[in-house]
Amino acid sequence: MNYILSRNDIPKVLEMWSKTHQVFAPQKYSNFSAFLPYEGKAEQLCLEYPHNTRYPPKALFLPQSEELLSYTKDGQASEPALDAKPKLIFGIHACDTRAMTLLDTVFDAKDYQDPFWKARRESTAIITLGCDEPCSTCFCTTVEGGPFNRQGADIIMTDIGESFHLEALTPKGENLCKDLPYASAAEDRKVSNVQEKATSDMPKAFDTEGLKTALDANFDSSYWEEVQRSCLGCGVCTFLCPTCFCFDIADEAARSKRYRNWDTCMFSVYSREASGHNPRPSRKERTRQRLMHKYSYWVDQIGKIGCTGCGRCVRYCPVGLDIRAMLREAGKLPVEVIHA
Amino acid sequence: MPNQQVSPYTPIPMHLLRSYPESVDGALRSIELSFDNPADCRTFYEAYDPGQFCQISIFGKGESAIGVASAAWEGDFVRFTVQRMGVVTTALHQMQVGDALGIRGPLGNGFPLNEWKGKDLIFIGGGSAFSTLYATVLHITGSSLKKEFGRISVIYGTRSSGHALYKESLKRWHENHEIDLFQTIDNPEPNWPYMVGFVPDAVRAVKPSPNNAVAIVCGPPIMTKFTLPILEDLGFKPEAVYTSLEKRMKCGIGKCGRCNIGPKYVCKDGPVFSLAELHTLPNEL
Amino acid sequence: MTDLEMKLKAEAKRLLDEHLVDVFIGFRKENAPLHPQPAFFTNSDQLDDFVYNNLCQNNLAKFLTRYPHETKIGMIVRGCENRSVNHLIVERQHPRENIIMIGVPCTGIYDWRKITQRCGEEISDVELSPGKITVKTSKNQFEFESKELLHVSCARCSQPNPISADLVIGEPVEPKDPARAKRQVETFGGMTAKARYEWFTHESERCIRCYACREACPMCYCAECFVDHGAPRWTESMVSKAGMQTWHIIRAFHQTGRCVDCGACERACPMDIRMTYITEKLNTDMENEYQFICGMDDKTQPPFAAFTMDDKTRFVA
Ligand SMILES: Cc1cc2nc3c(=O)[nH]c(=O)nc-3n(C[C@H](O)[C@H](O)[C@H](O)COP(=O)(O)OP(=O)(O)OC[C@H]3O[C@@H](n4cnc5c(N)ncnc54)[C@H](O)[C@@H]3O)c2cc1C
Ligand code: SF4
Ligand code: SF4
Ligand code: SF4
Ligand code: SF4
Ligand code: FES
Repeated sequence: MNYILSRNDIPKVLEMWSKTHQVFAPQKYSNFSAFLPYEGKAEQLCLEYPHNTRYPPKALFLPQSEELLSYTKDGQASEPALDAKPKLIFGIHACDTRAMTLLDTVFDAKDYQDPFWKARRESTAIITLGCDEPCSTCFCTTVEGGPFNRQGADIIMTDIGESFHLEALTPKGENLCKDLPYASAAEDRKVSNVQEKATSDMPKAFDTEGLKTALDANFDSSYWEEVQRSCLGCGVCTFLCPTCFCFDIADEAARSKRYRNWDTCMFSVYSREASGHNPRPSRKERTRQRLMHKYSYWVDQIGKIGCTGCGRCVRYCPVGLDIRAMLREAGKLPVEVIHA
Repeated sequence: MPNQQVSPYTPIPMHLLRSYPESVDGALRSIELSFDNPADCRTFYEAYDPGQFCQISIFGKGESAIGVASAAWEGDFVRFTVQRMGVVTTALHQMQVGDALGIRGPLGNGFPLNEWKGKDLIFIGGGSAFSTLYATVLHITGSSLKKEFGRISVIYGTRSSGHALYKESLKRWHENHEIDLFQTIDNPEPNWPYMVGFVPDAVRAVKPSPNNAVAIVCGPPIMTKFTLPILEDLGFKPEAVYTSLEKRMKCGIGKCGRCNIGPKYVCKDGPVFSLAELHTLPNEL
Repeated sequence: MTDLEMKLKAEAKRLLDEHLVDVFIGFRKENAPLHPQPAFFTNSDQLDDFVYNNLCQNNLAKFLTRYPHETKIGMIVRGCENRSVNHLIVERQHPRENIIMIGVPCTGIYDWRKITQRCGEEISDVELSPGKITVKTSKNQFEFESKELLHVSCARCSQPNPISADLVIGEPVEPKDPARAKRQVETFGGMTAKARYEWFTHESERCIRCYACREACPMCYCAECFVDHGAPRWTESMVSKAGMQTWHIIRAFHQTGRCVDCGACERACPMDIRMTYITEKLNTDMENEYQFICGMDDKTQPPFAAFTMDDKTRFVA
């Protein structure tokens, strides 16, 4: 069903949801925005920004540092309690919501499940705020998504002026909307206009047709040397990326705990073995891993590109390396025809 | 309850049963661990296939991926042969009998023994990477499985006779011919009755037949690199040659992203790959 | 293309065409607004998208240590970059004779974070004219005076002119407002310990340990950074208070007498973290206690790396 949430009612409704859920919403954090627990400060909300939060909401499911276990001197381990409190994420953009569904294939795989991820996912409802004004640095429609993509959302929310239109997509979503007024037919029509316009306004950032083939065929190409020259090898593009999930495991002896911390293939120590051998000895191999993982290996693994086009890596790379430009170039690389 | 075991990151509690040096220089030690909860041992070996590995955990130090070097029939323990490299492996070398530690596993795919049934098996090993080959031979020879395979040969090379692992078993095999063991050392030594020279040369000399056979190669990269072309010359098809890969690992279960080679995670899709599979993966070893 | 850009480009072309350099390090046109990219030209055909403007935010000296000593490197240097290069020569990271510095008197770098703070993060276009900048977003257009947007390091720059470049293009510019540095250090130093700690905590707690600050800094070229060291581990690897604070303090300490206050670390940080208030304090101490300013020549060792027989403190037993 479709519902209406008027702008003025947002604080009241968030208040209401807070009674049953821990509510996270995009809020001011220093000079930018992040998903933070909503503490009744409506003036802190950042629902009007066209861009998504700088700090990625994946951290709500995969915190940057997280305890895996604690231990005693005599070697007894205990696991932290799973986080099963009902949670609600309000106003997350479609690219970030969709990213969670991609990460489910990693953390909730058939063979091994990550209980910490799963518990948080299962106890969280997601209200996606579609983007009526996609950013120039975003490219979700190029990579199988869209500004109003519904994957992973319990409710999809559209800005129709003085109010938001909420379409409940799951029973969880319906349940959250039960006290809201229904949307009128006229309001529903506004929604399809907004959604269609936003989607069709987004230009194609690069061609994905044949891109994987080109990348695979050019694993040893000098392209990688060229494309990474200015790269600093920092953690910005991968830490802020909503689909990057790599982590390190480290014991903090002073705390008697074992933690996992976000890690990234862009760091040299990431793949360096105890012998000193490093299968990815330079930024060239590491940049290749980042792009190949997103645009080739994900496709091999689940048939989908592992980038949702959120644009963070484009906006925040300190040397202006733009993944769209890198992929446009890669798409032009020659693909040798292999004769049998 | 101290150990809920809902998480695949929590190790099974164990303690050190025995620890003894394997190589003359002391760089390699075997450690044998027993389970705090004896029932875990059964579960472990029921899930186990030779070629698999475990993450051995020492709280406060971390974890290390180490191949299983024992067979279920040997007793209620798991053996690992550890080369001292860095933090965790050094700590493993220093462990005392009774000290607490843990393992996560068995992890990885292991060798496809079912596919190999009815075939001759040629194990080619060098240096410390011999441990999982050894465990596989033990697994096969120590049980009724043996008659399901053809001839079993082992070509094993070490720097010197003192560097060889599992000397007792090697001696036994030399004596009882349970398997065809071809042992080689890099340089001549007085009274050494077996072969002298590098593993690739030994393979060329032994000349195993590729007919209805698989070759399993585990050793230092340089040994593997020079052995593979010889096997090819002998007529082994890429589908009939297997190897076990090593990558830096953390989670061991395909979550932390670290150990990939192309779309495959060495920790869960490997560590065992046929040469044919490796040919489909990017060259990033 | 501005007059300055044209001249710089012509110079880069000459150096490459006459094979005086193997590579010319400059900038090329941005793909996404606000971020021109460091560029490595090895052939004058590649110079089409050459740019140079106040948005070129990286310290190009960073890239010097990536080349073997034999490589002949041509590069653009502003005041701070020139001093970074000098100091890298002191630290024997590249021989002076294999570097050709094309100097630019610097009018200061715009801090992209000041722009996004004022205009939002969705910027569609930026137009630069002398002393002015126009920023366009999908709905609005903003005009700023350049001094509003200067990065703090640039606003207090005492050495905007290259001091040992092989060639300088453009007229020397006046130093900005060096008193600001002093003021900031004094303000920070003048706060109570509690207030200082609060300030420090507020900044460091946003850190995501991406190490962009390290990777952007020309002086951070260690093969293995202390935070990556495994045995012993110097600090927690988590985003814990201890881990983040140690990172911020030790990183700054390792720059003592080596920092030219270019501010590249701050501009690289995706979390808007201020860091130069610490390094500037260290720079001021170096100047007051040892009369040392980093990079003023390419010979003098910084005080903490130098050893003399008449050192006040006996540190060698
Ligand atoms: C499938 C597999 C089987 C292995 N089997 C054996 C074996 O039977 N015997 C043996 O001695 N060694 C084996 N290794 C190598 C062994 O895992 C490393 O030497 C060991 O992890 C080094 O850890 P460290 O703490 O001593 O070194 P440090 O340099 O202190 O390493 C820090 C951490 O990085 C990771 N790491 C570093 N190097 C490696 C590596 N090469 N492989 C995996 N993780 C690494 C570990 O988590 C380690 O704790 C195997 C590796 C793999 C991948
Ligand atoms: S953010 Fe930019 S500089 Fe940093 S690793 Fe990514 S591409 Fe390289
Ligand atoms: S790769 Fe870049 S655009 Fe794609 S999801 Fe990650 S941060 Fe967003
Ligand atoms: S791109 Fe790199 S950091 Fe991101 S998930 Fe893949 S391997 Fe991990
Ligand atoms: S760049 Fe910023 S967030 Fe990254 S490590 Fe440095 S201070 Fe922390
Ligand atoms: S070790 Fe974590 S994915 Fe393989």
